[in-house]
Amino acid sequence: MKRRLYALLLGLGLAAAFLAAAGRVQATLGESEDSVDSDKTAIEATGLSTVVHNGYTVRELRSVAVTLREYVTPSGIIFAIAWNGQIHPDLTPLLGSYDDEYRTALQHTPREPGRRRLHIQTNRVVVEKWGHMRNLQGRAYVPALLPPGVSVDEIK
Amino acid sequence: MATACGGGGGGGDSSNPTAKTLVSISLTPINPSIAKGTVQQFTATGTYSDNSTQNLTTSVSWTSSVPSVASISNAGGSNGLATAIAAGTTAITAASGGISSTTATLTVTPPTLVSITVSPTNPSIGIGATQQFTATGTYSDNSTQNLTTSVSWTSSVPSVASISNAGGSNGLATAIAAGTTMIMAASGGISGTATLTVTGGGSADNEIPITVNGALCSGNSYLNKPCVSVTVCTPGTSTCQTIDDILLDTGSYGLRIFKLLLTVLPPVTGNLAECIQFGDGSSVWGPVQTADVILGNEPVVTVPIQVIDSTFGARPARCFNADTTPAAAGFNGILGVGLFTHDCGTTCVSSANNGIYYACGASCSGTTVPLSSQVQNPAALLPLDNNGVLVQLPSVPLGGISSVNGKLILGIGTRSNNIPSSVTAYSASSTTGEFTTLFGGRTYNSFIDSGSNGLFFTPPPASQLPNCTGANAGWFCPTSTLSLSAINTAASGTPSGTVPFQIGNFTSLTVNSFNKAFVEIGGTFRGNFDWGLPFFFGRNVFVGYGGSASSLGSGPYWAY
Repeated sequence: MKRRLYALLLGLGLAAAFLAAAGRVQATLGESEDSVDSDKTAIEATGLSTVVHNGYTVRELRSVAVTLREYVTPSGIIFAIAWNGQIHPDLTPLLGSYDDEYRTALQHTPREPGRRRLHIQTNRVVVEKWGHMRNLQGRAYVPALLPPGVSVDEIK
Repeated sequence: MATACGGGGGGGDSSNPTAKTLVSISLTPINPSIAKGTVQQFTATGTYSDNSTQNLTTSVSWTSSVPSVASISNAGGSNGLATAIAAGTTAITAASGGISSTTATLTVTPPTLVSITVSPTNPSIGIGATQQFTATGTYSDNSTQNLTTSVSWTSSVPSVASISNAGGSNGLATAIAAGTTMIMAASGGISGTATLTVTGGGSADNEIPITVNGALCSGNSYLNKPCVSVTVCTPGTSTCQTIDDILLDTGSYGLRIFKLLLTVLPPVTGNLAECIQFGDGSSVWGPVQTADVILGNEPVVTVPIQVIDSTFGARPARCFNADTTPAAAGFNGILGVGLFTHDCGTTCVSSANNGIYYACGASCSGTTVPLSSQVQNPAALLPLDNNGVLVQLPSVPLGGISSVNGKLILGIGTRSNNIPSSVTAYSASSTTGEFTTLFGGRTYNSFIDSGSNGLFFTPPPASQLPNCTGANAGWFCPTSTLSLSAINTAASGTPSGTVPFQIGNFTSLTVNSFNKAFVEIGGTFRGNFDWGLPFFFGRNVFVGYGGSASSLGSGPYWAY
């Protein structure tokens, strides 16, 4: 059912679709794009579009507070996320199995007042935040999952 | 009883058989009209039997038929002088012996305006202030009347002060620029004047001191931290406190202060709170409360502020790491004077899922908030200096300095101390506030942020900007100080301008140094080019709010 729904949306090309509150179309880093975990907080997307790039696909979910982009390998695994908006999204459901090591690293990262950016690098994941009020931005990616030929600079 | 005399002899005084006799008396003027309170001199001329004439003004007996309209004097020195007492008509006659004069008709008209007095006569006020003038007319009967709403008011130098002739504000002058002007009140051909002096060429009312790591900052402040102080009052009263160590932030919008420093605000009664996140993932949480805020010597502004209090209500998960104390945050508060007047804007007006504003009862849930209730820049609500700010910081020598003193000047082109000159305006995106920077062949979205303490960007490949090692890993450590330049382009695509800057070795500069302000420090950033505090040293940087305008154009724009 969910696969058919996704295929339908993809078939429509670039389209904005209103999603029922319970039907959160948002997946987790390192997992299949089809994974939907409905008991975790999501960004309550009101719009969805997909852009095919050379070697990967970017699925963009737009909500009032933030726009989230999911970078998907040809085999359907999410290898990176990026966002911009009024807020930073809750990363716990988005980082999935990578969240614990991120939180641990965060606790051990000294605060840098005056520096409006965060860079966390663990064994398996890189999480970065930056920006300013009204345009907070960030990204998270698993270097090991980057498809061949895809540069980190393309995650934005 | 008149006795006509014919030819010579007889009819005269028995003691002077050849004396002429008075035959008639005529009066001049015959039909005068004078205003109440004024006087009219009459002349009586007698004609004699020998056809000679003689001025008899001082010897006749004068009469006014209606003394309540005009009196006429028979006193020595003022014989024949009529005084107009009340509107109306009276017959003036003069008599001598048995001869009565012809009748002169004296008409008394309502009193006429004689002079106008303007008060106060020589006031002095500051730019932006108003002065009410009063025009008092004095009439021919010495009566006076307030003519403020009926005279025509003019200001001889309108660029110094204007004056209103509009109903409800007649005679109200508004000071515009330093100088002197003559205020005139005129009616018919009568006028009166006063002199108005406008003071404050370099008016201090809209100037707020900034210290970069100086007296206004807390003792252990981080590098390149611009601090101001803000006065907060119990709304509607003069019970105020002044709080320093407030971060001057062109990258945010609105005033936020830690609750534990606020003594003049009553306990919060509303349920509106907000979770504000920053670029580094840190956050502040707390309720929105209305306060009276005084910036510099400006008029008090009543405005919603954020009271930073991580213990308020049921803090949502988004603000899990909300700063608990000023020490944790690195400031007592933030004065956000960036490109937007409200911290959220229209997004939070229309949607409850904005992730910023919450209505807190037993739990906190997302809520819409009208613009007037959102936390917003107090300076944008000022009566005069409300279209932007000017940040003025002096140059800093290479190698750094212990602290820097500068100014935050409120308003753009509103007073003689904030008139833009020799600056170029760069429009910014109306959604993000960003423009573009080209550096080392790489294009960045960029912003100007006094709350960032260095120049932060992802170095282009082949740049000689390696990162430092160890604890300073986020900063650049080139082997020697590099002189670089970038090109900034407005969001609209034009204009473009070159910005030279320098990056030195952060570790060398800061190790064993007591200096806290540096122009040549920078580090890695992702995505944007963040023109932090070093950009401000030695520049006049204007911040033009979206929704406002000045001679530089319509906001949002940066100008430097």
